Amino acid sequence: MRIFDPHIHMSSRTTDDYRAMHAAGVRAVVEPAFWLGQPRTSAASFRDYFDSLLGWEPYRAAQYRIQHFCALALNPKEANDPRCAPVLDDLPRYLLKDNVVAVGEIGFDSMTDTEEHAFTIQLALADAHGLPALVHTPHRDKAVGTSRTLELVRSSGIDPGRVLIDHLNEVTVPLVADSGCWMGFSIYPDTKMDPDRMVRILQEYGTSRMLVNSAADWGHSDPLRTAATASAMRTAGFTEEDVEQVLWHNPVAFYAQSGRLALEAEGAGARPSDAADFAGNSVRRGGS
Amino acid sequence: MTALRFGYGTNGLANHRLDEALEVVAGLGYSGVALTLDHAHLDPYAPDLPQRLAHTRRKLSALGLGVVVETGARYLLDPWHKHAPTLLDLDPARRAHRLDFLSRAVRIAAELEADAVSLWSGVLGPGTSHDQAWDLLADGCATLVEIAREAGVRLGFEPEPGMLVSDLAGYERLRHTLGDPETFGLTLDIGHCQCLEEETPAQCVRRAAPWLVSVQIEDMRRGVHDHLEFGEGDVDFPSVLEALSETGYQGIVGVELPRHSHSGPQTALRSLNALRAAATPPWTSKALDRLRSDPAAITSLFPVAARGGAPVPGDVTRAQLLQALPAREGELAVILTELYESGDAAERLAVLRALPLLDAAGHLGPHATPLIEDALRTNDARLVTAAVGPYAARHLGQSQWRQAVLKCVFLGVPLDAVAGLDRRSGPELTRMLAAFAAERTAAGRAVPDDVHERLDPPPAPDTLPAQA
Repeated sequence: MRIFDPHIHMSSRTTDDYRAMHAAGVRAVVEPAFWLGQPRTSAASFRDYFDSLLGWEPYRAAQYRIQHFCALALNPKEANDPRCAPVLDDLPRYLLKDNVVAVGEIGFDSMTDTEEHAFTIQLALADAHGLPALVHTPHRDKAVGTSRTLELVRSSGIDPGRVLIDHLNEVTVPLVADSGCWMGFSIYPDTKMDPDRMVRILQEYGTSRMLVNSAADWGHSDPLRTAATASAMRTAGFTEEDVEQVLWHNPVAFYAQSGRLALEAEGAGARPSDAADFAGNSVRRGGS
Repeated sequence: MTALRFGYGTNGLANHRLDEALEVVAGLGYSGVALTLDHAHLDPYAPDLPQRLAHTRRKLSALGLGVVVETGARYLLDPWHKHAPTLLDLDPARRAHRLDFLSRAVRIAAELEADAVSLWSGVLGPGTSHDQAWDLLADGCATLVEIAREAGVRLGFEPEPGMLVSDLAGYERLRHTLGDPETFGLTLDIGHCQCLEEETPAQCVRRAAPWLVSVQIEDMRRGVHDHLEFGEGDVDFPSVLEALSETGYQGIVGVELPRHSHSGPQTALRSLNALRAAATPPWTSKALDRLRSDPAAITSLFPVAARGGAPVPGDVTRAQLLQALPAREGELAVILTELYESGDAAERLAVLRALPLLDAAGHLGPHATPLIEDALRTNDARLVTAAVGPYAARHLGQSQWRQAVLKCVFLGVPLDAVAGLDRRSGPELTRMLAAFAAERTAAGRAVPDDVHERLDPPPAPDTLPAQA
């Protein structure tokens, strides 16, 4: 079975993860831009980060026959930081790149005016570049943040069918279900969502416009939670078609709206030119 | 619609060593070669042919070149008579000589995984009747079809003005005589169509499409069999290339200018530009127009060029954009640096791969060497491979160049991808490779074959007999 993880921060993960992900069926990922776990000190720091998401990380992923795409943005946490905000001026030129399939993560963290300003600007950037938007919902005061997010999406004029509202749970999913937006769920080892809770939500709301991701990053998280959710779905009686819809077809359909999701044919994995096997099958290190 | 793969005939680079001819062709941005087997280029009668074949196969693969094998060498078989002997020769021993050569070509093509082996009929000799010659030709071709079928190689029979089979109708008749074997494909020379076919070259392409395994291309005038540079004849190239693309032709479109070796690299450069111009999609045409009035637009056009110019490969479209810039030398290097630094991996590769082209056109000089140095600092084997091409061979300092070669070894980039390796190698590089091999051996790890071979050439693998 093929898995498309629509939200995972591979820059923070090891080559062991890539290997395990491929073994579990992961063939494509989207890595949205976010923070480093500690605050950045300048907009220049974003440029190295974006370059990595557009250069080194897809190359690293390709060694493990996984296709890597990205979403770029000024993330909600750092939208409040005046040292970082100038990256908004750099974004338009980055959003032209072939591997950028969305603007994200954008949205609210502490629901400040500055966050709202960055959110609004970036929704407009997404619209202007023909890109979908990946929207993070806040961890604190989540329901209020999600409602306010939906208001901003509506007033921005962007087609809600091109917006993915992420990190939803039992409390926030009903707010989004009728909005026309896509619904994302981050399956975590302990927090956010777990596979069994996810299954109950799928049983209640169906599989349409539903996306499951691992959102794995530098914190306690697990890049194989997508596969675990697929297993939980099967155990609960979902068909193979249902599983493939949630874990492959839905994320593909959402990001394909960018017109840039150049997926390799089934079985081909990543581009041979990227993945050509050189001695040892490990990421080439240049000094080993 | 398919993206066309342009190639260049090595018979138009006859004064180059084969490896260096391939480096010129790949360095300019061609994606294939039509390899004419000849004295200096993979001589099928050379005693060390098996080693040369293995070497050429690796070289083609490292340079990303497709290949068709051409058998039109002028004096390979007979030093006194051009293109002789042929399959039409009345002397059975001389026919057998041609057949032996062609069957060697088939086996060489199999070794190289070539698209096809091209061949022609030959000129009707004095004292030979047309019917007699035709029977001899059909006989020889039937034998060759069997050999090719067994080897898994397709033949590309080429109608040639002045020869027994000079046009498409002749090929069709011959094909029919042979029983329409799948193996018996067609090599179509676009200039020849212009010279003598009743239909236009584009119509010939459509008619020939089902059998087409190789295309040769050059300009020509009606009624004059003279291979001309693009623009010197009457061929309507956009319609020809459109017909090839629309009929889904997947093979090589190889420039055939065998009388231009004296100016080989520059003729190859002009030919590539002419072919690309004739196959330019609408997005790219508009972008090129815009660059002429507003060169600064390159910063917004370059990142989207792969999507805009599809199905033409992004590298090609980007090279076209860079060639259209009016800036030269240091000023051009400033723009290239900006595009490289703000580029994603594909844009950076496109800049690096365009450097030999820009340099060959006299636009650049050594000013972009810092980009090579930057690429060599990365751990991305694609960037490193692109960096060790002809531009580095020409401009990178010797010590840096040696480090680059060693880095290729470490990254597993084949040494065949390194341009000018034989020319720039010396005792110091050999010492470094030997030290690397010793370190690997001490660790119980394998030494890559290509390093081994440079230190200690292996005995010939027994894949082909050295003599008939």
